[in-house]
Amino acid sequence: MVIAIILGVCFGIVAHKAERSGVIWAFLTFLIYIATGILFYFVSNFLPSSISIDNVIVVAVIEVFIRVALSIFIAAGFLRGYFITILEALLCFRYLQHRRIVLLSMAAVALSCALLIATDSLFTGFINAVESSVSRHLGDIILEAPSGRTLTEYDTFIDSLCQTDTVKSATAVLSSQGLLLSAPGKVKTARIWGIELPRRLAVTPLHEALLFQKDKPAEQVGFAISDSPDAIGGIVGIGVLAQPDEITDAYDMDAVKGMLGQRMALTTGSMVQDRTNTDGSQPQFSRKVIKFNLADVAKTGVYEFDQSFVMLPIAELSKTLYPDKEPAANLIHIRLTAGADEEKAMAVVRGVWRSFAEDRFDWYGFVSITSAKQLNAQLIAEYRKQMTVLLFIFGLVSVGIILLVFCIFYLIVMTRRKDIGVLKSCGVSSGSVAGLFVLFGTVVGVVGAAAGVGLGWLIIDNINAIEQAIASVFGIKLWKASTYMFTQIPNTMHWGSVLWITAAGIIAAAVGSLIPAVAAARVKPVETLQYE
Amino acid sequence: MIKWLLAWRYFFKRPISILAVVAVALCVFIVLVVMTVMNGLLRDFKQKNHNYAGDCIIASDSLVGFGYYEDFTSILEEQPYIEAVSPMAKGVGLVHLKQYKWDSGIEIHGIDPLLHSRVTSFADTLHYQKQTPEDAFRPQYAPQSDGCITGIELIPLGRRKTDGTYLYHDKPMRMELVISAFPLNIKGGLLRSLDLVSTKSFYYSDDSHSGLVKVDGAVVYIPLEQAQILCGMDSPIKRISSLHIRFADGESVQSSVAKVRRLWDEFVAQNINKPGGSLFSNVRVQSWQQNRRSVIAPMEKEQIMMTMLFLMLGVITVFIVFVVLYMIISHKSKDIGILKSMGVSMSSILGIFLLFSIFIASTGSLVGSVLGWIFLYKINDLEDWLYKNHNWQLWDRTVYAIGDIPNQVAPEVLAIIVGSAVFACMIGALVPGLQAARKKPVQSLQVNQL
Repeated sequence: MVIAIILGVCFGIVAHKAERSGVIWAFLTFLIYIATGILFYFVSNFLPSSISIDNVIVVAVIEVFIRVALSIFIAAGFLRGYFITILEALLCFRYLQHRRIVLLSMAAVALSCALLIATDSLFTGFINAVESSVSRHLGDIILEAPSGRTLTEYDTFIDSLCQTDTVKSATAVLSSQGLLLSAPGKVKTARIWGIELPRRLAVTPLHEALLFQKDKPAEQVGFAISDSPDAIGGIVGIGVLAQPDEITDAYDMDAVKGMLGQRMALTTGSMVQDRTNTDGSQPQFSRKVIKFNLADVAKTGVYEFDQSFVMLPIAELSKTLYPDKEPAANLIHIRLTAGADEEKAMAVVRGVWRSFAEDRFDWYGFVSITSAKQLNAQLIAEYRKQMTVLLFIFGLVSVGIILLVFCIFYLIVMTRRKDIGVLKSCGVSSGSVAGLFVLFGTVVGVVGAAAGVGLGWLIIDNINAIEQAIASVFGIKLWKASTYMFTQIPNTMHWGSVLWITAAGIIAAAVGSLIPAVAAARVKPVETLQYE
Repeated sequence: MIKWLLAWRYFFKRPISILAVVAVALCVFIVLVVMTVMNGLLRDFKQKNHNYAGDCIIASDSLVGFGYYEDFTSILEEQPYIEAVSPMAKGVGLVHLKQYKWDSGIEIHGIDPLLHSRVTSFADTLHYQKQTPEDAFRPQYAPQSDGCITGIELIPLGRRKTDGTYLYHDKPMRMELVISAFPLNIKGGLLRSLDLVSTKSFYYSDDSHSGLVKVDGAVVYIPLEQAQILCGMDSPIKRISSLHIRFADGESVQSSVAKVRRLWDEFVAQNINKPGGSLFSNVRVQSWQQNRRSVIAPMEKEQIMMTMLFLMLGVITVFIVFVVLYMIISHKSKDIGILKSMGVSMSSILGIFLLFSIFIASTGSLVGSVLGWIFLYKINDLEDWLYKNHNWQLWDRTVYAIGDIPNQVAPEVLAIIVGSAVFACMIGALVPGLQAARKKPVQSLQVNQL
């Protein structure tokens, strides 16, 4: 703010020296800086809490950008000695007040900006949600054993990982496929995970997702069944147990809660031996059935997880699948410390893995170590491409703004030829007349773009309420987790794109006013003011 | 006549009209391209679903299925409007592929391949046995063994190429798939309480490529009788999950479905008291659109949402036409005054400007449609060129189950777009036209207005 005031005063002094009306203009410049300062103070303080610090920085960058752009704009005008006079500014505002048709161009700029901002924010929010959901629920780095191989003594490996500076926590998983019989006639395919609960809660937000134990302290969360302490407990994704309602996309929570403690059967399997038998015959697939009781239900909000996961204690699953081995795992999910460099962290994990596994497993070189981002990199790249294509199409249609502003300004020039003639006969230069219309176009762009940002923000901030209203009024559920992966529409405003969309809207309006401005500059007073 | 002449004259003599034409052409071009592609994708997706399901499906919501299907099939086959009927037993299972030590959850579809090919396009989805679907479950390398057909995307062997097609060997590879399932009794409980799971080995005999990701990525087809055994549908009453029906050529799907529904209701009334008759309560008779609604509806909704977005942008076209007309009228107040002083009515003045807007819309639509058609005609070549030279595809074919970009312009879509453009232009012309019509000659012809 202080810098803004100093800049305002400086430009005011420049203005004072450049023009007779400089003192007033200095005051106006000062007011513009104060107004932008207040505007951005308001924006910064009333941003929803969901907006990250990165977005706040982006807002600050936009503020600086606008101030610098204004400064350059005004300074360039003064330095050339003809750009703005108080008379032009007054005319500009007078036209704004008295030409209602200008509102059309503002509405068009606002509509296009709002549409582009909403599309970009929704797409970016969705992409970020896809990226972060994998990282949130699987960890930042995933180590996976080759198909059919398992690693034992994983506690030692995890301890070694946690001793490094880059790894915050890690947990072992024994993953398998299976069939779940949850009730008579209800069979579903399931992804079975053997997990170690205390460590998993440190790596992922599973605790928040548990329907029955989320209020308990983390150390008390477990697989225990209150009625039968000896029974094996399991945590099952809510979508495995129930299907969301066709209209509301909501689960019948009472029915789900009624299943707590219910006995279920899970069938899975493993190879009897890892290698070809000594007699040359192929190894056999051994089918296993595990009976367990429902200890809790997980509702992560990510459809894929909720729809397929059954989690059991790793020790129990390992004992069932590999009775002759000590507890085994085939996945390690690793959470990095905040701010850790992913590439460096992966190198660290590889190093720790090599020193741990080199003497233990002959297959240690075939292990896959990937980051969560890499897992979905191809899909994310596709989403980004689709977003670019869509924005390009909408942007192309928005070219209509240039045409619209051109038409409106041309209309104004044609109907104000006499005014222009009077101005020029009073000594106003052609450049000043042209500048007046370009300034007018820019103001239209600024006001329209600001309205567009506001409208876009309103849409994004209330997108879930809008979607729910449509569902309740028309009975049409536009957003379903089964189609779009998440139960909620990501509603974070992507301020990074607001900058270029706003700039494009202002530039489009200014470009649209260029030809009418030239036409106005070429008006000859002697022709327009003659009696005939 | 004078209306036409004046509208024509304004259209050609006012260069500003070109701007309105450009705006209309731009909108028509973009909407035509986007809608053609989206419409094509949706039409293609619907067709694939129709090919997969047949015309009508009598299906149970429960995995337990329903019985007495053979009796009802006989009734259906006597109907002149029915071409063929195919029973299907469905279940969920676990497949283990021995060679690759790989396992996955699957959907088991038990069918008679020949019958099913008569009802659906099943035979067309096969690679090796396309011409002889009756041998689809006979592996070429082990003809005496039980074969199975896997969805092309089920086994992750990386066969999908960057152009969306698949790599095939000359003959099917030898692969043994161990399939396990829970056999359910008629009440939905476990059938064999001592041995919870049924397991059987099948040998891979062919791939099925329906073009539906969820089907191709999860389904294993096995012989109907084997599926019934695995899922416990073989006793005491033979059960299935669904009956797929194909109607005779020229029969309306909706009216034929209604007839089948009546037949089914009569059949249920006669058999409801037999053992297992309660299972009929879970059965629905649906057309293929109703049966596949859950997968088709999201795509339809996306198309509607996209149309709404373009409608919002179409508002800009209305604005432009409005401004152009407003500008012309503001310059032609003298002409309007002269016309009205000669006795031309208000409605004729309004008609002139509406005609003018129709000329703008027609020319813009023509230009936009021709450019759009040329672009669509070349869109696949353009994408190929972009991919070869810049490694850029509109849709990565290794991610999306899309072949060529649909580029067939549907006449009804074109008609709707052109109609909307004309309507938008007329809306834009309405207010300035009315303003012109209400001008009073005595005001517009006074000397200080000239």
